[in-house]
Amino acid sequence: MDMRDREIQPASPLIAPDTNLMVPAEPELLVETPGVIPETEGPKERKPVSPLRESLRRLRRDTRAMVSLGVIIFMVLLSLFGPFVYQHLGGIYDSPDNGPIPATVYRTFYHQELSRQDELPSAQYWLGTDDLGRDILARLMQGLLVSISVAVLVEVIDITMGILVGVLAGYFGGWIDQVLARLTDIIFAFPGLLFIILLTGIFGTWADTTLSNVPIVGPNGNARLLLVSAALALVSWPLMARLVRGQTLQIKEQQFIEAARTAGSSNFKIIWRHIIPNLFSIVVVAATLDISNTIIGEASISLLGLGVQQPGSSLGLMISEASNAVDTHPWEVLVPSLTLAILVLAFSFLGDGLRDAFDPRTKD
Amino acid sequence: MIQFLIKRLIGLVFVVIGVTFITFIMGYFAPGDPIRTMLGEHFSPQLYAQLRHAYGLDLPWYEQYWNFLVHLAHFDFGYSFKTQGRPVWDILKDGVPVSMELALWALVIYLLIGVPVGIISALKANTWVDTLNMGIMLVLYAMPIFVFCVLVQVLIVFIDQETGANWPVANWGEPWHYTWTDIQFKLAPVLVFGLAGAAYFARITRTSMLEVMRQDYIRTARAKGLPERLVIYRHALRNALIPLITVTGVTLGFTITGAFLIENIFNIPGIGTITVSSVLDRDYPVIQATAVLLAIGVVLGNLLADIAYTLVDPRIKLE
Repeated sequence: MDMRDREIQPASPLIAPDTNLMVPAEPELLVETPGVIPETEGPKERKPVSPLRESLRRLRRDTRAMVSLGVIIFMVLLSLFGPFVYQHLGGIYDSPDNGPIPATVYRTFYHQELSRQDELPSAQYWLGTDDLGRDILARLMQGLLVSISVAVLVEVIDITMGILVGVLAGYFGGWIDQVLARLTDIIFAFPGLLFIILLTGIFGTWADTTLSNVPIVGPNGNARLLLVSAALALVSWPLMARLVRGQTLQIKEQQFIEAARTAGSSNFKIIWRHIIPNLFSIVVVAATLDISNTIIGEASISLLGLGVQQPGSSLGLMISEASNAVDTHPWEVLVPSLTLAILVLAFSFLGDGLRDAFDPRTKD
Repeated sequence: MIQFLIKRLIGLVFVVIGVTFITFIMGYFAPGDPIRTMLGEHFSPQLYAQLRHAYGLDLPWYEQYWNFLVHLAHFDFGYSFKTQGRPVWDILKDGVPVSMELALWALVIYLLIGVPVGIISALKANTWVDTLNMGIMLVLYAMPIFVFCVLVQVLIVFIDQETGANWPVANWGEPWHYTWTDIQFKLAPVLVFGLAGAAYFARITRTSMLEVMRQDYIRTARAKGLPERLVIYRHALRNALIPLITVTGVTLGFTITGAFLIENIFNIPGIGTITVSSVLDRDYPVIQATAVLLAIGVVLGNLLADIAYTLVDPRIKLE
């Protein structure tokens, strides 16, 4: 693969000036040309491209998916490094309530500056303040961090369980297959959100008391997030397992599996070396699309008051706090809502793009 | 057909038992003692034992579960923990008509807007009409429903401020009454809910319609010189709408979870609001009742859709 890149590299400068003169308005053409050049250069044979590389190339051409990817990367960076940068950009504020305080205090998501409630954006509070005088941008970044952490956690469980159970059910069939089928039936019949409401409602206060002092997962009202994540993973993995099962059934009938078996590979080796790698695309697409659902799920639960608790922040919690005052301070509800909408749309667009890139036939 | 029905009914019983068991066991293992919470400062050992017995909580878990099932079979959902002695049904019954009204109107909009939009998109596939339609529908479909609610509320507030109108941003009005004030309350939530679902219907309708338009019998119909209008309405449309029956069944789940969020944002006193407040009060009997009711509703909806599907389309064989 690297060889191919190196071969093509020297060709580009030769072609580039010409194309540049002819179509200066479309710089993307330059990026696309390397793939086409070998044909124009002469009899030099085009090397077979791996399906993954081919898919990634298709993905790169999908503007909507690439913009979405950019948005996602921006949001992830914002949630991870945003608070640090933001707090170091502000000066000392002489608060009438608390005396002079640095930005590391007033630009946190929990600090209440009661004399500065419900403000619109300013130099001090870039996105204004909420009804308790807390920095909306700081709360937004914390909310994004919560959304993204929950998404990552849920997808890790989702993918692990989905592959494990799905491959076993598809490869061996038998009782695992039966149990999986019944389980997915129940999960499909039972509205996922309702199940999560039940679980967090019943065990929520327990989580509050036992997990609050656990570092990382406990403080800042996040004690219930583990519960919410577990519940979200619980309702999402059977679907992943069902997809994996279907794909496994297809793969295991193919000739290379037969060849591997004839060559004496054990079941474990066939699954590990031949089946799981071939599940890559379906799992990536399903997981990306599921991230949207997960983020919406966490936000919904927090919106209903069952997820992140005060003084913590979550996009759903921010919306629910602000929606009571939607008629007087619409700005406060717009900021988290639009952020959430953009984040969720970005993941679904990226998921759609990945699906089209990996399997162009499914494009509708 | 009969064989299929029996098979589905057995599956249904299995699912219902699964759902009741999950809800029961979660309530059973729920941390904290509901009776103790209920008594609060009025706690005395006799009263405690008496109440425990009255609620059947002194029995072993399998007997409790059995009683739960027997009572369910008699449509008896037990008594609330929070307001002592108040039957669960008494709490739920005010919410049911409200939620049903909301869901029904939403369904009407799914079909009235979603299906035509999907058909138009399919007939004008890959033109700007299609792109615009599907773009809007994609955003509506992918966006969280409560974000949509909130955006509409902001819009209403803005219009109110600009025009001096007094359009309400929340609450519901009298269920199943349609005076001007009631309509003002109901219009926004119903539209939001309906449009969010319509987006899904539009996508499905478009795909289904495009699929049908590619079929040989459409080519035949055109070849024998039928006007395009007849080709579309008599041959294409009827076949394209068949998958929507299943989709209608499937959307029940979406409708229910959507209702929870819409009721919360628009402050509508339906089942969703009642359930969430019971969850916050840890009133398990109410939660269990709604969970079971809704799950049964979803399963029955799917079953009805399956049956309707086979009745409409004789080509479909039931395993």
